[in-house]
Amino acid sequence: MIYLDYAATTPVDSRVAATILALLTADGDFANPSSNHQAGLRSRAHVAHAAERLGALINAHPDRLIWTSGATESDNLAIIGAARARAHRGRHLITMPTEHKAVTDTFAALEQQGFEVSWLAPDSRGLLEIAQLEAAIREDTQLVSIMHVNNETGIVQDIAQIGAVCRQHDVLYHVDAAQSLGKLPLDVGNLPIDLMSMTAHKVYGPKGVGALFIADRPGCHIEPLTYGGGQQKRLRPGTLAVPLIAGFGHAAEIASSCQADDLKHLAELRDQLWGGIRDVPGVTLNGDIDGFPGILNVSVDGVEGESLLLALEPLCVATGSACNSKSQEPSGVLRAMGLSDMQAQSAIRFSLGRPTRGEDVAAAVELYCNAISRLRGIAPEPPA
Amino acid sequence: MTSEIYSARVRKLFGNPAHAGSLAGAHAARVDDQGVSVQFFADVADGRILELRFLAWGCPHVIAAAEALCAQYERRPVSELKSFEAGQLMQSLSVPVEKTGRILVIEDAARSLAEMLGKI
Repeated sequence: MIYLDYAATTPVDSRVAATILALLTADGDFANPSSNHQAGLRSRAHVAHAAERLGALINAHPDRLIWTSGATESDNLAIIGAARARAHRGRHLITMPTEHKAVTDTFAALEQQGFEVSWLAPDSRGLLEIAQLEAAIREDTQLVSIMHVNNETGIVQDIAQIGAVCRQHDVLYHVDAAQSLGKLPLDVGNLPIDLMSMTAHKVYGPKGVGALFIADRPGCHIEPLTYGGGQQKRLRPGTLAVPLIAGFGHAAEIASSCQADDLKHLAELRDQLWGGIRDVPGVTLNGDIDGFPGILNVSVDGVEGESLLLALEPLCVATGSACNSKSQEPSGVLRAMGLSDMQAQSAIRFSLGRPTRGEDVAAAVELYCNAISRLRGIAPEPPA
Repeated sequence: MTSEIYSARVRKLFGNPAHAGSLAGAHAARVDDQGVSVQFFADVADGRILELRFLAWGCPHVIAAAEALCAQYERRPVSELKSFEAGQLMQSLSVPVEKTGRILVIEDAARSLAEMLGKI
């Protein structure tokens, strides 16, 4: 197996796994962090330490972090919570069709609840044109949600500029940073970001834990989506998953220390990968070669996507379609960027990670080229 | 994930489509529909299919089905191909019901070829 699907998830760093394991059993600090006895206080200290570590990664005060189950929950809490909190001021929201489903489906749900959503189309690389955002903001606009790194193409939005426009108009800005946390510099202390969704499992932490950053500034409030306890300022009640949170904190600290090396490593591998497949006739890059180097999305003419994915085994990559037997819908992200159904359907997302080696990439190149050659060899001429 | 979608037989046929390819100068029938293209080629003599080949653009189930059909009807009388129905093939390959339309393209192409061969 050659795993090149790190944008889907990453393995847990062994150091992080050790941190988690130490907090699970009776000989560790397993107590409920809301308890006021000694054991509870020890658990609470682990949560506080994790918040310091994650806060340090993004230059946020630890008090501004809300722990969640992952980026999807963070997105829901940020978007629905902010929309409801500011509904008395207006019900217009802005996002893009190229956002992750956790965002687009949440906005679609809000549309059903009487909010009006402007869906801004990207350019052919998947980028938002700032002038388009400025034109879309109205008196009653309350929230803009534009991600940092796109999960399918790796394109990097200019979150500083987007946030600046939002600030000018007193509109909240939410960033889904699931793909960029720990991989690209993120300084919410100096960026005009009000809400930012994060997850641990894309950055060598455990699955099942994420966080939402909420800026400390006037008007930046959200309503809770769940009720039941006083934890986390009542914004996300429930017993905290201390081992997972501690694991997230440790993963964040590791990411802080090796971000520059990781980026260099990924860029070298990405260049090797693109260099190996760019000359295959009919191959096109979806996105921009200057995007996040951990993701490379390519389409190829004359090859059916589902067959390509199977022919690529044992290479583990992602396809441009919904990828299940019931649905082969082309990716909405790629369609929004102007790709035809056929181009989007043949898209393969290679995503590289810290453990990826040059020989993995070399093998992936060989598998990809061979699969295309084989499938083209058994395909009839295109219809006239 | 893909292991849940494809049966072992589909994987085998897709991975080694021994009948993929064309036959120069052979009789050929092609159907393009449902986002699928299938073309069959046959050499016949004395009412019998000597060689049967296919070219296909489609999902793994389509390629596996085309291969299975060729393996089944090669060296068989043309009359048998006339009665080919996709249902049995779908069952034997465990093709998801939502892909019925794609497999029916194979049925259409096979029947078109059989009809052509029947007029020889």
